[in-house]
Amino acid sequence: MWTFGRRIVVGFMIPCLLLLGIGVVAYRSISSLTSTSYLVAHTQQVLEHLAEVLSLLKDAETGQRGYVITGDEAFLEPYQAGIGDVPNVVKALRQLTADNSNQQTRLDQAELLIAAKLAELKQTIEMRRKGNLEETVKIIRMGEGKRQMDDLRTVLGQMEHEEREQLKLRTEEVEASARNAKSTIVLGTVICLLLVAATAFYITRSLSGQIGLAVRHVQSSSSELQSASSQQASGAKESATAMSQINTTITELQATSRQIAESAQRVSHVAEETSSAARAGDQTVQKTHESVSGIKRQVDLIVTHMLDLGKKSQQIGGILEIINELAEQTNILAINATIEAAGAGDAGKRFSVVADEIRKLADRVGGSTKEIRVLIEEIRSAVNTTVMATEGGSKAVDLGARQFVEVTAALKQITELVGTTTQAAREIELSTKQQSTAVEQVNVAVSQVAKASQEAEISANQTTQTAGQLAGLSRDLLRLVQANARA
Amino acid sequence: MIEPTRVSSRAEQLRSAFDRARAIPFSSETAEQIENLLAIRVSGDAFAIRLSEVSGLATNKKIVALPSPIPELLGVAGIRGRLVPVYSLAALLGYSANADQGRWLALCGAEEPVGLVINDFEGHLRVPLAQVYKAEQKDMTSTHVTHVVRASDMVRAVVSIPQLVEIIRTRCRGAGE
Repeated sequence: MWTFGRRIVVGFMIPCLLLLGIGVVAYRSISSLTSTSYLVAHTQQVLEHLAEVLSLLKDAETGQRGYVITGDEAFLEPYQAGIGDVPNVVKALRQLTADNSNQQTRLDQAELLIAAKLAELKQTIEMRRKGNLEETVKIIRMGEGKRQMDDLRTVLGQMEHEEREQLKLRTEEVEASARNAKSTIVLGTVICLLLVAATAFYITRSLSGQIGLAVRHVQSSSSELQSASSQQASGAKESATAMSQINTTITELQATSRQIAESAQRVSHVAEETSSAARAGDQTVQKTHESVSGIKRQVDLIVTHMLDLGKKSQQIGGILEIINELAEQTNILAINATIEAAGAGDAGKRFSVVADEIRKLADRVGGSTKEIRVLIEEIRSAVNTTVMATEGGSKAVDLGARQFVEVTAALKQITELVGTTTQAAREIELSTKQQSTAVEQVNVAVSQVAKASQEAEISANQTTQTAGQLAGLSRDLLRLVQANARA
Repeated sequence: MIEPTRVSSRAEQLRSAFDRARAIPFSSETAEQIENLLAIRVSGDAFAIRLSEVSGLATNKKIVALPSPIPELLGVAGIRGRLVPVYSLAALLGYSANADQGRWLALCGAEEPVGLVINDFEGHLRVPLAQVYKAEQKDMTSTHVTHVVRASDMVRAVVSIPQLVEIIRTRCRGAGE
């Protein structure tokens, strides 16, 4: 589909080309007319020069006749003027007819005749001056001069005739060129007007239809643009509000970042103090570990002694069992002695008393052995308890030693972790400062965005107004394009 | 734990009691008013037997079991160069035959001694006769308990060894027939 510009260009190009053609034809016609006019004028000059040559010769002949008749030098004045100008005129004729060989040939004949005529005139004038009137008349009566003039008139008449023929031809050419130019101009103008009218009609019709359609599109687009710009304005307003809230949030975030940075700095200090405390604790734990190792050795020694004590108490228990058994056997013996004493009658009564004492002693020994057994049991229990407690203590010491090793490793790990924590806290501090800087930049950016949103809102309002104006302009344009269109 | 001072005082008490017993002059009247008893326990119950009814006391004697129609007969044991039939006192007193067999052995009778296995021997009691009471019929758990004695705040049934020996002999005769 052709664009409006192309259509207009093409629509104007055709008349322009026609005008150009008309102009070219007119130019050529005028040029031809001008050159033909120049040629006509040139022919007129040749005719004038031919007539002037004949006239000058007539003047010279007139002066010659007057002088011959009168002998008065005053009558030679036309003769002098004629013989003075004839060569110049002939020379001009030769130049004017330089493009015509026939005329040059005739001009050569004419020069010969002119020279002969002038010689005859000069001869007669000299003869008259010498006083030979009769000879002079005689020569004139011979008619040589007249023949020369007649021949010259004939030659000049031929030249004039040819020039007049050329003049006629050139005049016809001029008329033909003028007719052609007139017909070309009139016809081209009519065709050009028709073409211009047709092009104008076509362009007007097509442009009015398409521009009307485009204007309607522009109208609907401007309406949509108006609604879109209204939405954009409301969106920009909401965006500005949101940006304001974001700005507030970022300000709080900035304050929080500063607090985090300060906290990270404090954490870093605390971590350094913790690291030094952990190193001191590590040394203390090392010393304590050595002390615990000494305690463990002492506890092992105590366990050994307590086990010996238990073994000794067991041996005492064994001996006590022997004593108890002896006491029991003594008791049995005493009882049997009492029985025997009772069987012995009065003689055995005193022995019965002794046996009773022995029995009592055996009972007391038995009671004492019971007490000793209780004591030994208590000792064994105490030893067992002590051994168990000591073993428990030894195990606790072992566990403590292992735990001390673990504590040492843990303290070492704590030291490393504290170092890591310190590094992390420093990184957090640095990152938080960078974050704070970034947040400040974001804050500035958000402020700019908020400002841009406000400007966008203003721009959207302006766009709305512009869209309204555009809608009005499109209605006006539609009315201009389509007169019967109703906006 | 017994304190050392208490141990030394205890030793002093023993020493003084021994010395005091040796210092008291012998009195036959005092001896006649005293009843010598052996304090025993049978399946947890407290009993007493008169020392005068026992001819000897032995311990840890090996008892060789013998097949017998008398369930109370545990076997025979060698005591003082003689073979002595040994009976379970608990079984004779009517306790379960599965009652614990003790390591104490009381010899009863002189010419044909009989051994009675005692579950637990607690000691020798010297009790005034005033503390030995004749057992009433309603208090008697069996016919071989004739008296009760109160000693060390405890009342014990006094087992009559002669009656038990008579019961054994009666059963032996019944078994022989």
